[in-house]
Amino acid sequence: MKEKVLIVPCSGIGKSYGTVAREGAYVVTEDLCPEKTMLVPVALLVLGEDEARSTLAGTEAITIDGCQLACAAKVVANSGGTVAHRVQVLDVFRSHRNLKPSGIAELDANGHKLARVLAEEVQELVNGMTGEVSHA
Amino acid sequence: MPGEILKVTVDKFTFRVPKGLSYSDAGVWVKLEGNRARLGLSDFAQQSSGDVAFANIKPDGTDLERGDAFAEVETVKVNVSVPSPVNGTIVEVNLSLAEAPELINQDPYGKGWLAVVELSDWENDRAYLLDAETYLALVKGQAAEEMKR
Repeated sequence: MKEKVLIVPCSGIGKSYGTVAREGAYVVTEDLCPEKTMLVPVALLVLGEDEARSTLAGTEAITIDGCQLACAAKVVANSGGTVAHRVQVLDVFRSHRNLKPSGIAELDANGHKLARVLAEEVQELVNGMTGEVSHA
Repeated sequence: MPGEILKVTVDKFTFRVPKGLSYSDAGVWVKLEGNRARLGLSDFAQQSSGDVAFANIKPDGTDLERGDAFAEVETVKVNVSVPSPVNGTIVEVNLSLAEAPELINQDPYGKGWLAVVELSDWENDRAYLLDAETYLALVKGQAAEEMKR
């Protein structure tokens, strides 16, 4: 298997959709495909933290953004990383209109469901990048 | 969007108000095109509403009285009923918004337009609309109020 796919969500602070991005990233990296992915906090990249930047170098990342400012995608690009896929929470929500999230510090049930759906979509992308067939 | 664009910055937000358009106090811009008016959300209205998830606009042939909701815009923050600033009949709807509602955020005065209305009482309607300078002042005040919350 190739090296791990980096998952970089926006910081997810202050908005429900950002929180969904962050929670979805946790589901991917801790539950669905922990052996194939690694979470990189966008805050460390913003700060220019050496280990985070060196992890990014030469490795493809999937960014997950909660709004159209797309901070995660921009920060990865500006930090010398390669964005293989840009995932927007809003695009996932548009396909699952019944899952409108609310809550910020603590997501409601819809928010957690949306995060799960998002994570499963990211899992598909990860499997595509690592050359594995998904059975999800 | 051709022509001069007025701008006001409140805190970290900058709002654009093109001259040459008219505006309702609810944040709907009006571009007169013969006896028709093209309508859309102002930059301030779209920024304060948030990222648009869905936009449902009433279909061609819908008769409107000024104040009637002609569009429902669902954003990440709120559901907005957009009141018509004019009397008339919808003759064209921006079908692109069904697939790409984010155009309202990305290009509110261009590709993000909502509908075109055949006007039935423009002389009366125009009395209720604001020019760019007046609307800019309104935006500045409303944005300042928003910042206090």
